[in-house]
Amino acid sequence: MDPTIRADGGALAPIAPTPVEPAPADFEVSLVSLNQWQIAARRFRRHKLAVFGSVLFLSIVAIAIIMPFFAPFDFYKVPDPVAHCPGAPKSLGSSGCPPSLDHFMGTTGGLQRDVFTVVVNGARLSLIIGVGAALFAAILGAIVGGTAGFFGGWLDNLLMRIVDVLLSLPILFVILVASKFLGGGSWVSIILVFGFLGWPPIARLVRSLFLTLRSEVFVEAARAVGVGSGRIIFRHILPNALSPLIVATTLQVAAVIVTEAFVSFLGFGVDVTQPTWGNALTGAVRFIPLGNWWWPLFPGMAIVLTVLGINFVGDGLRDALDPRSRY
Amino acid sequence: MVKYFVRRAIQAIPVLLGISLITYFILLIAPGGPYARFAQNPRITAAQIEAFAERWGLNDPIPLQYCKWLGVCGQKPFLINALPGGTFQVAGLTIELPGGDNGVLHGDFGYSITDGRPVTEVIGSRIIPTFILAGTAYIIWVAIAFFAGVYAAVKRYTLFDSALTVVNYVGFSLPTFWLGLMLITLLASPPLKWFPVSGMWNARQVPTFGSAEYWTYFGANTIPALYDLGVHLVLPVFTLVLVNIAADSRFIRSAMIDSLNQDFVKTARAKGVSERRVIFRHALRNALLPVVTNIGLEIPFLFTGAIVTETIFSWPGMGRQFIQATENFDYPVLMGILLVTAVIVVVANLLADVAYAIVDPRVQYD
Repeated sequence: MDPTIRADGGALAPIAPTPVEPAPADFEVSLVSLNQWQIAARRFRRHKLAVFGSVLFLSIVAIAIIMPFFAPFDFYKVPDPVAHCPGAPKSLGSSGCPPSLDHFMGTTGGLQRDVFTVVVNGARLSLIIGVGAALFAAILGAIVGGTAGFFGGWLDNLLMRIVDVLLSLPILFVILVASKFLGGGSWVSIILVFGFLGWPPIARLVRSLFLTLRSEVFVEAARAVGVGSGRIIFRHILPNALSPLIVATTLQVAAVIVTEAFVSFLGFGVDVTQPTWGNALTGAVRFIPLGNWWWPLFPGMAIVLTVLGINFVGDGLRDALDPRSRY
Repeated sequence: MVKYFVRRAIQAIPVLLGISLITYFILLIAPGGPYARFAQNPRITAAQIEAFAERWGLNDPIPLQYCKWLGVCGQKPFLINALPGGTFQVAGLTIELPGGDNGVLHGDFGYSITDGRPVTEVIGSRIIPTFILAGTAYIIWVAIAFFAGVYAAVKRYTLFDSALTVVNYVGFSLPTFWLGLMLITLLASPPLKWFPVSGMWNARQVPTFGSAEYWTYFGANTIPALYDLGVHLVLPVFTLVLVNIAADSRFIRSAMIDSLNQDFVKTARAKGVSERRVIFRHALRNALLPVVTNIGLEIPFLFTGAIVTETIFSWPGMGRQFIQATENFDYPVLMGILLVTAVIVVVANLLADVAYAIVDPRVQYD
């Protein structure tokens, strides 16, 4: 407001500035500005289920990394059935011993392996495949979806028709065929198969985000001052599309772990000599009718806890990264 | 609007061609290929393998094979049977060949390379068991998900609502195959043994399902036959229901909550309409719109079946047939199942769009 025009129309006497007491040093107010990610992190920490989920998931990861070194039995050494199964009832035959002090998850049928050792060793490959395939799918999906959404036109049309074709394929069918006939049982090829078949939904998501963001005012402004396409994509659009992409990738990890377990369980996935949770369950089927419940139970529990943890984290991230959420 | 759907239907053709092209090439380029099942058998002679390759046209270049499979190339490219039945010998097996081999565009899907039956017959014999299992499960889970979802939306933040959330989280996180295994472990193995471990009928008393003897038996002993089928259905149906309830009930709940928050619901309440009428006449009817399309999109599942559940419980349906065909590298059967599935999915998507446009007058296609 113009200081010469005063509401009371009074004299132009200068108003004595109210003396401001200098704030004492220990009351100094410092304004800490939080960036987008710090706010999200704070929201995430307040989300109880998400914290629980991340603790669950991180402890499983820690077990997967550390435990095989401390596990009481060597996975690759086939134990001596007699030495490892003391006092087992004879009626059980070779169908494994129930949980005991020596083997708190029991032993498998047949080779009498320690189920705990099998589960702990399986964790590594299962987690690597889950995370690796999800990251691969996310990167591929972001590149394809971003290209289609940003450039549009015939390129968009072509890429989206390819996505349509891949999405119309019954996905589990294709995974089975591809992992059996192209995979050859190595975990690297399984990551490639799952990554390559997992990108279409992510590409669709990223494309729609790019389509919306492309016409935002701040992108127009950037273009108006002469910012190049590359910089617009990476500095102006991508950071805004990142949150949904992160959530989708997290949930993809859980989906891959479950599907990989089933594919390996059927014998189409990772070679049976390699420990994964799916492979751990393969042999259990024959011994279930003999009353062996501990062999199928524990590897499956490992899958369920991991997936539950990841799903909680995914939900927490969705809420934390959404600026409109109330957390 | 008709123009829109015609265009969509025409656009589906290249998609279907693309699917069949990709899968055909994956199947035939793969190492071992159709010969994989002979690799382990030392008694197979080179001459037999050559006869096998000759019979199935495997010596042709793969693009030509695809073209013939499609029914565009070939000696008799019209509706004449190029191979009008006869017998064929491989690995000591005599195989009867009824029907034609003119390619998909002529309605011929070829023959299974494992047992020589026409692919249409193989698929046809598997579709009824799949329909029985998937249909029963579908009706049950849609009904439960519907009532649970609506109730949870009306009684939001109550104990029931939280319980449903927990069930949903568990349902999302349980791997289907492991749930099936645990049900078998708990209820079909000693000590309980309440249900059969696997299969669709008790082979000691009941003839093979679908055969003429089965229907004679069914006519004479309807009650025991139905009971036998029911007992075999319990565990696989339960597995499918528990796993599928999660997504549907969550969807129905959020649709109902959206609807309850609308202004017309507030208006109805302000007018003094009874709560019961508000819920059922005003909110529910509008919430049904997205729910119906969503549930409709799950219908292809009734035909394609549940590959995981059928495998775990040895249910003789399409999903299990696919796994068996994959193990034997039976590419004509695989191609048949994949194509039928893809067509059903494409048609169901189109029908869902049509249904949506009919139900919701606000939807406009151009």
